[in-house]
Amino acid sequence: MSRDVLIKINYVFVALLLIGASLTVMYHENPERLIQGEWVEKDWRLEKANATPASASTSELQERLKREILQNIEDLHLGVWRFYKDGTLESAEAGQGNGLEWVIKGRGHVLEVRKDGKTVESFQIQQISKDKLVLHLNFDLQVKGIIEIVLERKGQIDQYAKKV
Amino acid sequence: MLRKYSNHRTLGDNLKLGGLTAFSAGMVNVASVTVFFAFTSNVTGYYAVFAQELSKGNWYQGAVVLLWILLFFIGSFLSNFVIIQGKGRWSQYISHAIPVMLEFLSILFVGIYLDFFYKNTLQETEFLVAALLFAMGLQNGLTASISNSVVKTTHLTGLTTDLAILVSMFSKRENRENKALVDKFHLLLTIMIAYVLGGLFAGLGYLYLQNGTFYLTCAILLIIALYDFYKLTRVKQLFIKRRRETCPA
Repeated sequence: MSRDVLIKINYVFVALLLIGASLTVMYHENPERLIQGEWVEKDWRLEKANATPASASTSELQERLKREILQNIEDLHLGVWRFYKDGTLESAEAGQGNGLEWVIKGRGHVLEVRKDGKTVESFQIQQISKDKLVLHLNFDLQVKGIIEIVLERKGQIDQYAKKV
Repeated sequence: MLRKYSNHRTLGDNLKLGGLTAFSAGMVNVASVTVFFAFTSNVTGYYAVFAQELSKGNWYQGAVVLLWILLFFIGSFLSNFVIIQGKGRWSQYISHAIPVMLEFLSILFVGIYLDFFYKNTLQETEFLVAALLFAMGLQNGLTASISNSVVKTTHLTGLTTDLAILVSMFSKRENRENKALVDKFHLLLTIMIAYVLGGLFAGLGYLYLQNGTFYLTCAILLIIALYDFYKLTRVKQLFIKRRRETCPA
């Protein structure tokens, strides 16, 4: 194949990639749409940087740390997280008017929670699907580590309860 | 800074161009991370992230990263395209200033959009980061192209490698006395320091100026683009004046 043809194929390939990527960004299901709705906290796991999850979850230090961290981010221990389309975030207990807002940034991998326009906390979205949301929160108090928050979509849990 | 090409460029030309463009790249990168949680001069990292997202089956995130890489590619492509296609059609300075002005417009667009239209949606974020990556591609394409790949200002991986190689070469006396190597060392060090200073400046500046940081970057780019315009106009004026003095009739 001549080089003239090859370079034309090259240009077409780049153009197709660009169109494909743009269309996917515009029309594919994105984390911002997926997150909208009601999510129930299933698990709060604390993982220290220098410990295996198994040993970390059993230690006494772990429990003390957990209490301290939860105290610092009490506002975010919501129980049920309701993400509304207009960017407001509510918990089942607090109901309306807690002033929390949510925004997704980066390539859809950062969930920022704000209160009165100021950032309260930024979570890494580790996994997001129709039924499951896993958030990671980096902390650096007495030791470095990650809090893993596992949430499940409310509808899924109700359906499971009905089945049982 | 912009009017000379390839081997005709002096160390001073490269130091000025490298220092100012690296400063603006550092500013854009830090401002982008602050506002959008996304780097604009991390293409190596984005290739890895692209592969990682695909392996996880995250098609949306993969497409976003691919879009960013492609916009950087297109920026660099366009920069060199204007330079080589402009040869013989218009002056060398104009060919070199066009990519800087396109970069200026891209960053200005991001600043204005953030100030007047931004609704904090994810889709807006992805396209604004893409505009910044396009701007960085234009800049890297321009500096690499006109300096014979000596000046690269948006990515410091290669620069850090080159700097490390030079420092190790300086362990031999004859290399320490080699002017070309010493000049290269000064240039790379200037770029590295300018990039970090730009990042620091943007990080601190964002606290006070917020989106104004992008306008400040635009001001630096204007200085880069208009510096040679001023010099060329001044030389032209001096030439006309001298000609009038020597041939009054």
